[in-house]
Amino acid sequence: MTYKHIFNTAIRGLSTNRSRSFLTIFGIVIGITAIMLVVSLGAGAQDLILGQVQGLGTNTIAVIPGREPTGPSDVTALYSDSLKDKDITALTNKGNVPYLKSIMPVVFGAGASSYGSNTYQVTIFGGTDLVAEVFDLHPSEGQFFDASDVPSRSNVAVIGSDVVDHLFDGQDPVGQNIKVKSRNLRVVGVLPKSGGGTLFNFDSMVIMPYTTAQDYILGQKYFSRIIIQTETDAEVAVTAEDIKLTLRDSHGITDPTKDDFTVQTQQDLANRLGTITSALTWFLVAVASIALFVGGVGIMNIMLVAVTERTREIGLRKALGATDRDILSQFLLEAVLLTAIGGAIGIFLGTVLAFVISVGLSKGLGVNWQYVFPWGGALLGFGVSALVGLVFGGYPASQASKKSPIEALRYE
Amino acid sequence: MDIIVAKDLRKSYKDGEAETVALDGVSFTVRKGEFMAIMGPSGSGKSTLLHVLGLLDEPTSGHYGFNGKDTSEYSRDELADLRNREVGFVFQAFNLLPRTSVLENVKLPLYYSGIDESEWENLAKKAVEDVGLGQRMYHEQAELSGGEKQRVAIARALVTDPEVIFADEPTGNLDSKSGKNVMSIIQHLNEEHGKTIVLITHETSTAEHSERIIRLLDGKIESDEKVAKRLTADDEFVK
Repeated sequence: MTYKHIFNTAIRGLSTNRSRSFLTIFGIVIGITAIMLVVSLGAGAQDLILGQVQGLGTNTIAVIPGREPTGPSDVTALYSDSLKDKDITALTNKGNVPYLKSIMPVVFGAGASSYGSNTYQVTIFGGTDLVAEVFDLHPSEGQFFDASDVPSRSNVAVIGSDVVDHLFDGQDPVGQNIKVKSRNLRVVGVLPKSGGGTLFNFDSMVIMPYTTAQDYILGQKYFSRIIIQTETDAEVAVTAEDIKLTLRDSHGITDPTKDDFTVQTQQDLANRLGTITSALTWFLVAVASIALFVGGVGIMNIMLVAVTERTREIGLRKALGATDRDILSQFLLEAVLLTAIGGAIGIFLGTVLAFVISVGLSKGLGVNWQYVFPWGGALLGFGVSALVGLVFGGYPASQASKKSPIEALRYE
Repeated sequence: MDIIVAKDLRKSYKDGEAETVALDGVSFTVRKGEFMAIMGPSGSGKSTLLHVLGLLDEPTSGHYGFNGKDTSEYSRDELADLRNREVGFVFQAFNLLPRTSVLENVKLPLYYSGIDESEWENLAKKAVEDVGLGQRMYHEQAELSGGEKQRVAIARALVTDPEVIFADEPTGNLDSKSGKNVMSIIQHLNEEHGKTIVLITHETSTAEHSERIIRLLDGKIESDEKVAKRLTADDEFVK
C-alpha cells in the first residue's frame, strides 16, 4: 500500500467521526497552546532583560563590594565597605589596567527629599559626569553636572521625572534648591520620563557627584560600585582579570577564594539572567507538558475505542489482502494526524495569545516588550505532538494489526 | 489441475478446559474451474472449513495445498498477498465500507495489490459493469438494495482477477429473487470466466447451481457427490 493511500484511508477514517475526532484533539491543542505561550513569553522576557543589560554597554565592567557567598555560612562574603579611594588610584594606574578607558565610582542609598512643603522618598545616586554616558541619559531640561563638580563636592543634582512631579507643582525645577537629607542641592538638570521599565529606575533618582553624596549626604567613605569601561568589547575579559589582580594587590589578598569584591562584566550578567529566565521557561514548559500528556492519553483512549468499533473493517481489509503492517500504518497515521492537527491548531492559538499578551504588556506596563515568534518552540511543539501520536497511537494500532481476520469478521 | 488439496484437515478450538472440534479429518480436492458447494447444518464446521480454505485461518493439523504449495510454507505477508491476488471473498453480511461509493468499495483490494494505480479506475469500473451495476457506480451502500450490495461485494471479489472465489452464504440475507440473481452471476463467473467457486450454503436450491456438493456433519465429510441435474438461472426464469 502506498503512502498516499495510507494517508487517504486514515483521513477517511477520521472524517467518518468528525465531531469525536475534533473533541479528541482538544487535549493536544491545549497542551501545545500552553507550551507555545510559555516559550514565546519566556523569549520575550529574556529579550527584554538582556536588552536592558546590554543597553548599559557591553564594554562596561562593574566592581561590586563583597564576593558571592560560597554557602549559607560564608558570612565574610558580605563586605560592603571594601571599595575605597585607593582602589581608584590603583585601577587608574595604566601599568595595572592598561585597557581602562574610563572609571567611575558610584555610591547609592535612599533618603527623603523636600522642596517647600513637598517631600518625596528618593534614591540617592552619586557618580561622576560619566553617569550620562554610561547610562545613556539626556536631560530634557538643563544639563548634567561636569567633571569639575566632582573634586569640588558641588551641591548640584540632576533629578528624575517622578521627583519633579512630587516636589514641584508645575514650576521649573532647574535652578531651584531642593533638600536631600537636610542638605541643599541646586537642580541643574531634569531627566525625561523613562517609564520605569528599565533595570535602574532613574525616574525616582537624585543624581549628584559621588563626593557630595559620600561626604554630605550618606556619610560613607566607601563605594557601592566601581564602573569601568574599556575601549572595545574585546578588551573586557583581559581587563576584568587585570582589575581582579590590581584589587587583590591593593587589598593584600593572596587567596582568590577570599576576594572581598566581585568583578562583573555585562556579559556575565546577561548570561546569568539568561540562565534564570530560560530555567523558568523550561520549568513552565514542563508544567504545560502535563496537559500534552493528558491529551495523549485521550488520543490513546479514543483510538482503542475506534479499533474495537472497527474490528469488522479491520477483518475485511485483512481478508482483502491487507498485511499487518498496512493496518498498523493506517491506525498509527490516524493517531498522528489527530495530534499533528491538534499541534498545528495549538501553535496557531499559542502564537495569537502570545501576541495579544505581548501587545498588552507593552501598552499596559509601558515596557518595551517585543513579541517573539518562537520558531524553535513551534517546531518542537509540532514534533512533540506528532510524537505523542506515535507513542499513544502505537498501542491501539498494534492491537488492530494483530487482530485475526476471522475473529474480526465474526465480531458483531 | 487441483487448485485445492485438503488432506486430513483438523481444526479444534480450546475454550478453557473444553476442546471443540470443528473439523475432524477432512480430505478432498478441488479442480481448477470447478464449482463446488459445501452444505451442512449449523455447527457442522462448514464456515471453519471455508476460512481455512480461504487462507483466513490455519488448520490445527493436516495439510492444505493451495495452488500447488503447502500453505504452512507461506509467511503472514505472503498469505495476505495470496488473499489479495488469488482469492476473492463474498460474505453473507456483504461487509461493504459505509459512506463509501460502489466504485471505491470495489477498489479496496487494489489498494493492497501491487497493481499500478493508473489501472485501478478501469479495473474497478469493469468489475462493477460485470455484475450489472454500471448505473450505480457512484452510489453509496445505503442507497442500494440487498441484492445490489451483494453484487458490489462480488465485483470487489473479482477486481484483482483471482483464481478462486469463496462465497459464505451469499444469498443468506437476500430475498429469493435477489438470491437467484446473485447465483446467476456466480454461475456466470464460473462458466464464462473460468473462476473456481467454493460456496457455502444450507439451501439445497442454492447448492444445486454447483457441479458438486460436499455435505459436512460434525466436522466430517458425510457425502461428496456430483449434482445430477444442475439448476441454472435460466431454469428459474423458465419456471
